[in-house]
Amino acid sequence: MKNLNRRDFFKSAAAGVSMVTIGAASVKGADKRLSEDRVGVLVDTDVCVGCRHCEWACKTAHDLPTADLDNYSDKAVFKEYRRPDAGALTVVNEFDNEKNPALPVHLKIQCMHCERPACVSACIVGAFAKREDGSVVWDSDKCIGCRYCMVACPFQIPTYDYDKAIQPMIRKCDFCSDRRDKGQLPACVSICPNEALVFGKRVDLIQIAKSRIKRKSDVYVNHIYGENEVGGTSWMYIASKNFDKLKMPPLALNPAPGISETIQHGIFAYFVPPVTLYALLGLMMWVTKRRKSEKNEKLQENNEEKGVKS
Amino acid sequence: MKKLIYISIAVLIIVILVISGSILSAKNPVPVEKNNAVQEKVMQDIKTGTGKNDKKSENLKCTTCHEGDYPTKNDPLLRACPREHMIRDFKYMDKGPDEVVIDYMKENYEGVVFSHKLHSEMSAISTGCTGCHHYNTAAPILNCSECHDKNRKREDVSVPDLKAAFHRQCMTCHKQWSGDNGCNNQCHVRKGEKQIERKTSKGSSHPQLKEPGKLVYETNYDAGKIVTFFHDEHNKLFRIDCSSCHKKDNCVKCHDKTKQQGTDGKLKVQKSLDEHHQPCMNCHKINNCDKCHKNSEMAPFNHARSTGFALKSYHSSLTCARCHGNQMPVKKLDRNCNSCHKNFTTGFNHGVTGLTLSEVHKDMDCESCHAGKDFSKPPVCSSCHDDKSYPSNSPGNKGRK
Repeated sequence: MKNLNRRDFFKSAAAGVSMVTIGAASVKGADKRLSEDRVGVLVDTDVCVGCRHCEWACKTAHDLPTADLDNYSDKAVFKEYRRPDAGALTVVNEFDNEKNPALPVHLKIQCMHCERPACVSACIVGAFAKREDGSVVWDSDKCIGCRYCMVACPFQIPTYDYDKAIQPMIRKCDFCSDRRDKGQLPACVSICPNEALVFGKRVDLIQIAKSRIKRKSDVYVNHIYGENEVGGTSWMYIASKNFDKLKMPPLALNPAPGISETIQHGIFAYFVPPVTLYALLGLMMWVTKRRKSEKNEKLQENNEEKGVKS
Repeated sequence: MKKLIYISIAVLIIVILVISGSILSAKNPVPVEKNNAVQEKVMQDIKTGTGKNDKKSENLKCTTCHEGDYPTKNDPLLRACPREHMIRDFKYMDKGPDEVVIDYMKENYEGVVFSHKLHSEMSAISTGCTGCHHYNTAAPILNCSECHDKNRKREDVSVPDLKAAFHRQCMTCHKQWSGDNGCNNQCHVRKGEKQIERKTSKGSSHPQLKEPGKLVYETNYDAGKIVTFFHDEHNKLFRIDCSSCHKKDNCVKCHDKTKQQGTDGKLKVQKSLDEHHQPCMNCHKINNCDKCHKNSEMAPFNHARSTGFALKSYHSSLTCARCHGNQMPVKKLDRNCNSCHKNFTTGFNHGVTGLTLSEVHKDMDCESCHAGKDFSKPPVCSSCHDDKSYPSNSPGNKGRK
């Protein structure tokens, strides 16, 4: 893919256009492409201690500059609410715990790897892809830097190398696809001391989350964030507080790209726009051609009459 | 020659088949009848209390821990954790180790020294051994690695892996205690780094917790400022488990750096009105403030004074629950013996009351002296004797027989 040239790009673009024009059926096809065994992560915020080792592991795994691991025990960073950026694909934030002030709630944020990702839908060059295993990955070679993905994401996750003049990158958690291709766990899951990040099949994780909520019903709120939000996400959360108080956006249950894709695919269904366009052009051509020929005929007739007279 | 080889091979195959058959049959499970007998014996032991099991085992069913009907030593068919019930059978608490070195991550870290004895002493007030040794079956104590996989990447992720299991046990308290998440300054020493000299906990023990006898609280309630709480009565006389009140207590209750120490050295804890009353209200469902809020210290509990029924002889050695039940509010009883002792009159040995009847009185009907079989009232002599009355005249000898 490294040697993607102009021709290849237009090829894939043409393929993409033809895919889209096949019709609305391809919207539902997106779900079928996912594996039954697709993976995810359950973030148990009741178990997370806020050590921020995941932040360090993430930076190390993605060759981003980072301080020494020992520096991460500094809790001063929690004073401000942080968001992932080009230099940190995941961050942990701290929230008050009214039930026990000595045990604040910690919540890690990163790409949620939606079941129906808006970024994939919005990307005009197909740089984003939803893999069969559930992860949403981004290809730097295809990206043209339009940043539509940043606008489309309901969690505002993709970030941009604004401070780079040459070859700025879109950056977001890639579910450690390189590591997982080698059979390793995502870096954050691997380092977590308390296994607050449980990596497994998405279906299993939902069961685990439900049983934990049931068993400690006095601790958890009865809500698995990500089970159904925007059509479901690969990363899911359980917590002792309502998620809007943990600054997780309250989202509708239908997929973010649902409406836009339906409109788009509806319009483009059964070659309607090109067929209409060409039909219209053909009609115009036919009309003008007829007018022209009528005019010519009249001229010819006139000429002939003149010729006869003369 | 070829024939001979074929015959020998055939013989060899037959021999192998016979041997493997006998091995397989030996491996077959013990016949069902025998297992049934074992199970019945165990159940009998549990019922009669003659077995190895302790007093709590009366609630114990095989299915509490075992999934199958016939667990064996090699295949105990244990239920998956978290089990609904667990057995709190830790009889050998004193025999636990002083220190445990946890060193399964040898390649990166020096072993973590865990002061088992100190922790177990402290746990006595709140969670007990089961706080850490959760879901353990009846003795022996299982290793953590028995249930918690050493690999993070595994098929069943419902149970945390070993690394998480250890950390969760420690961090729950220690995070509250120190407010610090650093690894190296708390437990771990990275390999190759200069060894920090560690205090050894061997031989040392936590200062023994003194159980308070009587606690007197001065409150802001004007109608009755003084609240007296008899800790010893609740603990020793009423035999209430520590954990029924102290269920949320842990080390942080005393060792909390974030809280202010008062002038008396005790931690000052800000509690809401509800939080103050909750421990009492859990059992005493009363809306009457005067019950506890008095203007002076309360006198200790006295059955005779509070109820008018003095606990003498046999009654004094009974537990409260024996007559009043375990449920709060307690079952109220009247002073009629018949309320508890059904049909006790046939062949009753009057001597147990502290009065042995004389030969004349011995065979008389109860109602002759106890009018209407109401034993709460003093006996009447007038039905036979004009000039005698109880207690100045006695129908027998004082003392038991």
